[in-house]
Parts: sequence; structure tokens; C-alpha cells
Amino acid sequence: MTQALSITNLVKRFGGLTATDDLSFAIEDGESVGLIGPNGAGKTTVFSQIMGEHRQTSGNIHLYGEEISSLTTAARIRRGVSRTYQVPRPFSEMSVAENIRVGLMPDNIWRMIVEGPNTERELELALSVGFAESDLQRTPAELSMGDLRKLEMARTMATGPKVMLLDEVFAGLTVGEIAQIGDLIQQMRGDGMTFLIVSHDLKALEPLVDRAIAINYGAMIAEGTFTEVIDNEAVRASYLGGVA
Amino acid sequence: MGLRWYHFALWGAFIVGLALLPELVSKGTLRTIIFANYLAIFAISWDVLSGRTGYISFGHPFLIGIGAYTTAILTKRFGVPVEVSIPIAVLTTMAGGLIVLLPALRVKGSYFAMITLAFMELIYQLVQVVRPDLTGGTRGMSGVPTLTRGAVNGFYLSAFLMVSVALTMWLLMRTRLGTALSAVGMNEESVRGSGLSATRLKMVAFLLSAAIAGLGGAFYIHYLGTIAPRALFEINFAFTIIVAALIGGASTIIGPVIGAFFLTFLLEYLRPYLPGAERYLIYGGVALLLYMYQPRGIYEVIRQGWARVRGLA
Ligand SMILES: Nc1ncnc2c1ncn2[C@@H]1O[C@H](COP(=O)(O)OP(=O)(O)OP(=O)(O)O)[C@@H](O)[C@H]1O
Ligand SMILES: [Mg+2]
Repeated sequence: MTQALSITNLVKRFGGLTATDDLSFAIEDGESVGLIGPNGAGKTTVFSQIMGEHRQTSGNIHLYGEEISSLTTAARIRRGVSRTYQVPRPFSEMSVAENIRVGLMPDNIWRMIVEGPNTERELELALSVGFAESDLQRTPAELSMGDLRKLEMARTMATGPKVMLLDEVFAGLTVGEIAQIGDLIQQMRGDGMTFLIVSHDLKALEPLVDRAIAINYGAMIAEGTFTEVIDNEAVRASYLGGVA
Repeated sequence: MGLRWYHFALWGAFIVGLALLPELVSKGTLRTIIFANYLAIFAISWDVLSGRTGYISFGHPFLIGIGAYTTAILTKRFGVPVEVSIPIAVLTTMAGGLIVLLPALRVKGSYFAMITLAFMELIYQLVQVVRPDLTGGTRGMSGVPTLTRGAVNGFYLSAFLMVSVALTMWLLMRTRLGTALSAVGMNEESVRGSGLSATRLKMVAFLLSAAIAGLGGAFYIHYLGTIAPRALFEINFAFTIIVAALIGGASTIIGPVIGAFFLTFLLEYLRPYLPGAERYLIYGGVALLLYMYQPRGIYEVIRQGWARVRGLA
């Protein structure tokens, strides 16, 4: 098996605070891994380092064997890694279709101009996350939190990732929506997508992952099957002692 | 691009209407319209940059001035033909656009706006002290070769330029590039998160905007035949451009054209009653009222009216 994503001795300091503390793990191609930990454990910060939104203090990040630390975010996305945001950040004055359109665009000015939008693919992506065709022209202001998360998923999928990092995709969703996004993730796993999923909703997370990693204060505290990890003493203590 | 029959019809009617204007209006009005055409070009330039990407330029005369001075100096001082000097002026202005881009890589919002204002002030001071033998110093230059004689020809040239710029930009902004530039204005982080280089997109916006400003500035100076730094690098001129774009409807290309005509005629009709700077007070008030009624500008008012008409049909 090939390694899709690997992180080695990753350290991130924000002034005196160590948000990522000598963290190392690897994800095989096609694998789905849950990343858990209490509030402020450093999960999102790991994502932003993988995407290059924050530069790590030290350590390495490899994507399919290539060290990507020096690449821009756009270049990393072209290499096949993409993320959703815990707080959805849509383009507020654009329709659902246009939001997805931005995700589908090539990072090439000339092609942006001469090639028209792929409206079929826009629709296909919108439908796959559970939008109806009539939702395409709605704007973010008219969407519920659940819809905003779906849009976030669709725009992330639009960039054509091989590895998807999902940050709290279930937060604020109804039971029905959680099932819908869960089904979508299962279907994509079947198609070979690699996932790293952050979720506080452990029940929703469990069926979606092959194994789990728990971190606290930026450092790994447990690794193994989902059950092993959530039954781990240190993990239980961290959740009880955490701000959650 | 999603072009519809009424797009062709409206553009066709607009062009035919402009072509017939010299038959319908007085020479004096035509001169007013010439100014409106150039103001429209400047407002489109502002719109491509600030209307789209949200990087508000308060110093657009900086760019216009680079284009104007470059071609004025080349033609008057060095006898360079306009066929050569105007393209050089456009390229020089684009280089100026890259200078304005530099702060935009680091700062946003009002900081960026203040810096552009500083650019305008800087060039105003510079043209007066650096090589006044070339720039004409404080007094500026006169006797810059003009391209046309008479109001009618001046009108046709300005109208042709304005329509070319407006149509080109309107088409361009309807492509995915237009969508991407708007995206930069809404959320730059999400643009990066969508796999696009926000920096490159900003560069495209600044270069396009500068090219249009340089083109407009160069032709404008060859229409006027004189260049007066105090009138050119003036905050009221910068504001007129911004207000034209905003009350017309930012980020629409057509809006700034409508706004430029609206403002020019408003100022013109106020002239007999208020010859001084008080006029700007009135137009500021009118702009504010319009803005409160419809923040998206006249373009949106017309668009909604049109949608209602089509809804009835
Ligand atoms: N840009 C920043 N500057 C300074 N400190 C930061 C920054 N981003 C995150 N932190 C800090 O780093 C730590 C980890 O934050 P992070 O958001 O990664 O946690 P998390 O596990 O995603 O939490 P949550 O479950 O609440 O989303 C926190 O203490 C946070 O305050
Ligand atoms: Mg987080």
C-alpha cells in the first residue's frame, strides 16, 4: 500500500503555546482515519498545516511521497489534498452553483476565460451532497447550517481531491443530514477516497473510519481501532478534563 | 457566457443610439458626453479592480496620470507618434498597476485605500519636482497633439473607445474569470481553499484595471491637449470615479457606464446654479440617497424593472 499522507515530527508553536507537539502519523491510500481530541487539542491546526495555511514550526508533511511543506495552498490542492472548514466560509454573494464553480476552476487564467463552466458537474456535485436542483440558485444567506456544510463538502469535492480533510462536518446538522453526509462519505470510501475526519460526534464518526488517532495539547495520546482509542484511559481523561 | 437575445438587442440599441447622438444633440452637450465617455472608462477600470476584488482604490488618478503623462511627454517632448506612444503609455500604466498591487499583497480594506491615496499624492508631488522640463512642473503641459478636431469626431473616438472597453470587460467578466475575481472580493481564504492562486487573480485585476486606466488616460489627454496636474491628481476626481461606479452599480461594468453618464449630466445641469465646489455637495447627497434606496446602484434598479416587465410579458 502507498502512503497518501504522512506527517513526521510536526511541531507548531503560536508564541508560547504548542498547538502541535511532535506529532507523527501516516494514512494509507484509500484509508479513512478519525482524528479526535477535546476542544483546543489542535485538530484544526493540523489541517491548516497540511493545507499550508499555517506554516509548521518544524517537521515534515508528505503527500504521496512528496514533501509539500514549501508549496502554496493552491499547489497542495492541485496535488490532491483538500479540506472543509469547521466554520463554513462560502462566497456570500454567489449562488450554490457559483460556489461550486469556483471549486471546479482550474488555476489557470486562460482556461478560466475560454472554457465555460461545467454546469453538469456543478449539478452532479450539488446533488451528491444532498441538494435539490432547485437549490442551485440559492445564496448562502438563505441556507441552513446543514446546507452550508453540504456546500462546503461540495466545493471541497469540486477541487478533485484524493485526500479529504473534513473538519466537524456533522456539527449543526440534523439527524437526517448526518445520515446523508455519512452515506456520501461511505460511498466515496467505496470509490477509493482517503479521509482524515475530525468530529466531536463520535457516534457518527465510528462507522466512517478504519481507525482513529487521539490528540491532546497537540500531542498524540492514542492510536488504534476506534474502540481502542475511545476506551483509552488517557483519551477518556482528556475529554473529561478538557473544556468540552 | 449565457448570452441572450436581449443582450444583443440592448448592446445594439446602445451602439446605434450613440452613433446617432451627434445628429440629435448640440455641440455643447456632445462635449459633455465626451467627458462622460472618458469618465465611464475610468469607472470601468475602477470597477474591474475595486468593484470585483474589494480592494478599494482611492487613488485611481495615479494610474490615469501615468498613462496621460507618458504619452504626453513622448509625443510632445520627443515627437514620438501616438501609434507608438499610446501602447507604451498603456504598458507603463500596467507597470504602475503592479506598484499598486504590492501593498494589496499585505494589507486590505481601509489601509489599502489610504495607500492608494498616498500614491496619488506622491505622483502629484513628483511630477512637479522631478524633471519639470519634461512634465511641465506645476503648470503642466499644453499643446499635446490632439487626435481629433471638433466635438463630433472627439465624440466618436471617445464613444468607440468606451464601447470597446465596456463590451470587452462585460464579456470578460461574464466568464469564470469574472466569477473568480468576485470570489476574491468575497473571501480570499476560500479562494485559496478552492485551489486558486488569489495573488495571481489579484494581479490580473490590477493589470486589467491599469491597462484600461492607461488607455483612457492617454486618449483623454490627446483629446484635451493639455494636462494640469492639480486637476488630474485631485481627490474630487478620484471620488467622481468611485461614485460613478457605485451609484451605477459596482461589479457590473454596465453600472459604472450608467453612473458616469448620470453624474456627468447631474454636475452639468447643476453648473448654472452652483458654479463652485458646492456642486459636489449636491451630487454627494444625490449619490447617498440613491445608495440608500438601492445599494447595488442604478443598474440593479433597471434590472429589477426589466425583470418585472419580462415577468408580465
Ligand atoms: N492562529 C492562532 N494563533 C494562536 N493560537 C492559535 C491559533 N490557532 C489555534 N490556536 C490555538 O491552538 C490550539 C489548538 O487549536 P485548534 O483550533 O487546532 O484546536 P481544535 O482541536 O481544532 O479545537 P476545536 O475542537 O475547538 O475545534 C488552541 O489552544 C488554540 O487557541
Ligand atoms: Mg477545530
